[in-house]
Amino acid sequence: MRRRGLYFILALLLILVVMLLGLQVGSFDTDVATIFSALFHYNPDDTTHFAILHLRLPRLILALVVGASLAFCGYLMQAMVNNGLADPYLLGTASGASLGAVIVFFGFVPMTVAGLYLPPVFALAGAFVVTLVVVMLGYRKRQIIPAQLLLAGIALSSLVTAMVGLLTFLSDSEGKLRSVVFWSMGSFERASWEMVPYPAAALSIALLLFAFYQKQLNILLLGEERAQALGIRVAQTRWVILATVSVVTGFAVATSGPIGFVGLIIPHVTRGLLGATGRGNLLLCAFIGGLFMLLCDLLSRIIYPPAGLPIGIITSFFGVPFFVYLLFRKNYNFRG
Amino acid sequence: MLLLSCGPQEKQAQEALVLTDDLGRELTLQKKPERVFAFASSITEMLYAVLDTSTIVARTPSDDYPEAVYQKPLVSNYPVDYEQVLALKPDLIFTVEGITPLEVAERLQQLGVPVYYQKYRTVEDIFTGIEDIGRIMGREQQARHLTDSLRQEVEQLHQKYKHREDPLKVLAITWSDPIYVYGQNTIFTDKLRILGAENAVQEVFEQPYPALTREYVLKLNPDVLLGGTKKELEEKFFHLYPELRRIKAYQHNRLYKPDDNLMSRPSPRVVESLRELEGFLYP
Repeated sequence: MRRRGLYFILALLLILVVMLLGLQVGSFDTDVATIFSALFHYNPDDTTHFAILHLRLPRLILALVVGASLAFCGYLMQAMVNNGLADPYLLGTASGASLGAVIVFFGFVPMTVAGLYLPPVFALAGAFVVTLVVVMLGYRKRQIIPAQLLLAGIALSSLVTAMVGLLTFLSDSEGKLRSVVFWSMGSFERASWEMVPYPAAALSIALLLFAFYQKQLNILLLGEERAQALGIRVAQTRWVILATVSVVTGFAVATSGPIGFVGLIIPHVTRGLLGATGRGNLLLCAFIGGLFMLLCDLLSRIIYPPAGLPIGIITSFFGVPFFVYLLFRKNYNFRG
Repeated sequence: MLLLSCGPQEKQAQEALVLTDDLGRELTLQKKPERVFAFASSITEMLYAVLDTSTIVARTPSDDYPEAVYQKPLVSNYPVDYEQVLALKPDLIFTVEGITPLEVAERLQQLGVPVYYQKYRTVEDIFTGIEDIGRIMGREQQARHLTDSLRQEVEQLHQKYKHREDPLKVLAITWSDPIYVYGQNTIFTDKLRILGAENAVQEVFEQPYPALTREYVLKLNPDVLLGGTKKELEEKFFHLYPELRRIKAYQHNRLYKPDDNLMSRPSPRVVESLRELEGFLYP
């Protein structure tokens, strides 16, 4: 019990520290004093203040929210299919979002309609459409069959990725290719105060919802039959998980692109720290996911200024060694 | 830049001709080239400006200038259609560094078609490139005639603007999501120098067209922004990055759309490009 509290406080503190560091990195030279004066004595004519408050801060919050969303959804998916290999993109969200964005970038629809910038909108739509098809394929007799869902997700993702590949191959301009590369590896550069509320609201509602579902989730890990016997409505729980994951991942991907690995690795880290069925696992998982993403964003901007490396590259580079460490740790069991 | 093997060799070697291109690659030609074409649209424009047009045997999908180029057979340069290239029996193919991958050139070399690379960092490099082509193709005079008049026009422009105080800082974007711009190590920088202005991007990045962040652009605070008409930039750029409405170029409404080909091609039309930029900088 004490340990859990400690982890939460530690995660929260680290998040604050990394955010403070992140606020200092950018084209305008900034020290801690400037940050505090920007936060508490904001001067709209000072461009450095403006950059801190309107460019850096929303970017960091978006990274935090997206990292938390992906880790949280990864945890849910792994619990639902009872398999440690699952990640939030299992439902085809990532490939669907890429296809949606690429359709706009390649000029099949205009970039903006009535003042609305369409790539994120189409990414969200693409994510939902592909998820819907995957769920339909993974569904039999009013029940989700996890193994079938997994296979459907993999097959459909491959198909959609091939469609993105075809469009990319046929592309006639280098600029479009760059957009696709950036889109397929993720970036927080578009973050703004107008954008942040959507993924943040989706995540908050989901976290609140699963404060009540945590018990069901843990019982689900015992396997379908035992869960039924213990009075859990397995089918219903699965639907709730599916709906949550597709909405929360959809918003994360639509704002920042499909950032890999976070949703796979952070749930394992969480269980490694608190055990497979700890209370508060989901919330801590979201915290660690957010912290990890903030760190990756900071690194990406320090290593390769000014634009930063695509964030997906960093998450894999720093995530994989840690994952390997977990693999070889004796007392950690990778199942669900 | 061009080394024709000369001296005693040249007399006996009516057939063998050794060239060294801008990348330092050595090419051996069996005879003076008579059938050529280019993988880069900028060089196609040079060929038309200097050569007897009957020696140009193909065009690529991106070639669109001069109009006469459309009469030539089309050959794919990306990906390269090797069979089609061989069917055209070229003696030599010209290209620009960065447009044709080296392994494609090696493959063509093995198939018996040498590929000659040019590279340019300044406007002057374009002129030497034109003269090189003239020498290789035995059209020195035509080339020289052209470059003399182009140099003269460039010099006149430079004289007119070189003493301007407080040079304008100009940023040219090539793509808006993510933001890609003309970097310091592009000919664009030299064009601005000739016109007494400067590239807003002073830092030298590895890539000629680096990706920038909103904050970086905010800090550059350019006087002039090139990349689209006011309406286009409003829709594609400032709508996406409303924070950048603070830059001087937006505040003073100095947003212009240069012709894509004039901006991006190091061709004999570089003076035309300079005149276009002059119109934007000093309306």
